[in-house]
Amino acid sequence: MEKDKVILEIPYGTRDFLPDEAAGKRAVENRLADLFVRWGYHEVVTPTLEYLDTLTMGSGRSLESHMFKFFDRNNRTVALRHEMTTPIARLAASRLKDHAMPLKLSYISNVYRYEQTQTGRQCEFYQAGVELMGSSSAVADAEIVALAIQGLLCSGLKAFKLCLGQVEFVNGIMDQYQLAGNVKENIKKTMEERDLVGLEHLVDSLDLPRNAKDVLKKIPLLHGNGDMLKSAYEMALNAQSRRALDNLAEIFSLLECYGVAQYVTFDLGIIRDFSYYTGMVFEAYTPGLGFPLCGGGRYDHMLSDFGNACPATGFAIGIERILLALERQGIARPESPKDVFVGYHEGKTAAAIARAEELRSEGKMVELSLSPQSEAEAVSYQREMGYKELVYIP
Amino acid sequence: MNAENMEYLTIALPKGKLFKPSAELLGRIGYEAEGLSEKSRKLVISNEEKKIRFIITKTADVPTYVEYGAADIGVIGKDVLLETGKDVYELLDLGFGRCHLMMAVPKAERRERLTDYAHTRVATKFPHIAEMFFTRQGMQMEYIKLNGSIELGPIVGLSESIVDIVETGTTLKENDLEEIVHIVDSTARLIANRVSFKMKFERMNAMVRDLRAILESGAEACRS
Repeated sequence: MEKDKVILEIPYGTRDFLPDEAAGKRAVENRLADLFVRWGYHEVVTPTLEYLDTLTMGSGRSLESHMFKFFDRNNRTVALRHEMTTPIARLAASRLKDHAMPLKLSYISNVYRYEQTQTGRQCEFYQAGVELMGSSSAVADAEIVALAIQGLLCSGLKAFKLCLGQVEFVNGIMDQYQLAGNVKENIKKTMEERDLVGLEHLVDSLDLPRNAKDVLKKIPLLHGNGDMLKSAYEMALNAQSRRALDNLAEIFSLLECYGVAQYVTFDLGIIRDFSYYTGMVFEAYTPGLGFPLCGGGRYDHMLSDFGNACPATGFAIGIERILLALERQGIARPESPKDVFVGYHEGKTAAAIARAEELRSEGKMVELSLSPQSEAEAVSYQREMGYKELVYIP
Repeated sequence: MNAENMEYLTIALPKGKLFKPSAELLGRIGYEAEGLSEKSRKLVISNEEKKIRFIITKTADVPTYVEYGAADIGVIGKDVLLETGKDVYELLDLGFGRCHLMMAVPKAERRERLTDYAHTRVATKFPHIAEMFFTRQGMQMEYIKLNGSIELGPIVGLSESIVDIVETGTTLKENDLEEIVHIVDSTARLIANRVSFKMKFERMNAMVRDLRAILESGAEACRS
């Protein structure tokens, strides 16, 4: 071991983006930013740091142990934002309170979670997303789902699948069987944890008729097309669940108008987080990546936690996961153009600068030599660096 | 790897005592491959015709392969699943590999109450589960992670107690240890990657249905 060598580490869960990687990231982000603008969403930038009280005011409490926390000068606890929805909800409930509705906001930013790093997710990671506030209509939900699909498409992905669920379906079923509060909580917990065995054991221990038990156990397996919705309709003998199914059918027919319904599968087992979502929820997946690319849904209660009740729906896409999926699926990142190398003879620096500026104003990517050289040297440099064209000022 | 990845179902099987019953059970629903054996030198065994790929891994690694999607499906004990805390679908209780996690202490030095062991040393292969358990009892413990022969801990004075899995209790008896708390039961579980379960839903759902039918007919046969 070399003793004196300094090891320049970076903290656990962080990463550098080298030029190629950064170019890929920027290209995807630019496409998403353009897309969000075309759909009428306005970008907002919020502080990286928020007061912990703000981030945990809604349902963020369960994530508190995963937040990076510090004290400010007055000993108040601040935390690095763990997602963007809460800061945007804070904005909507404070400085944008009197803004005309609906409010359509977008962001592309880094967020932080202290957790075991996973595929395409470090402790610091990047998300692009939108929030649509002030509408509880299915049109708003369909817009969010359609925009998420367009976002995946414009990033360059071709093969993916979006699963669309509705948390009110499960809530309705549980009320239909008049389950006690703690039983409901336990059922929700097993569903959120994807623990179907736990769900089965729990349901078997309840004093319920056999068909009720079968229905509860089947929820995580309700996956499919319109026929599945029909059979779910037969299972759900309550207005709340049926409203949830009608809502999904309406969203789906709007997605057909958008021409993106072929990417969508119904899945009533998609829950994400019961304490957060209040209506439709979705996740998108792509082959070869073991984690979702994108997730979102309706969260009508969050803004009321900030004292300004307002229905809301939105999604976030994981930028690194997109990049990883593109790489694994062999989809080329857009190449950064290498147009012109400008070389020059001794004493011709001024002319070379002028020429380079002229070419740049034409929209070309230009590298100017940093010292005079012979034409032969310039040619070899141009080839080595892969420039399409050489301009030599003799 | 894309199209192929979608076509194939990759199943992770653990080496050790769960291997044989897992391979047998899967074989009964047609999930088999030539040369599928625990002693196989090949780490990946494929059945090209049925588009199945088996990978054989160290027990504790199965949940990791499945969480990352390197395997779509895996068979693993609930004990290991609880210990590793991976985010996977737990689809089916396969019923075999039955054991339980418990706390045991030297018979001769048994203390009156569980809480009398607070702030003592506990040797275990399952520090995460042990900590969850003791925290719920309001007890702080000193955890000593061992990788095998946990029973040795109290005998050589490394710890005051152990938290370990027990099938029959013979090893405990032979080492003059006594179970004082039953922590959790464990059986083998079928687990799935959260994305695979959605992307390959039809195939995996059919697999679960077939397995369930076999398990239920087996259970009835036992009862009658």
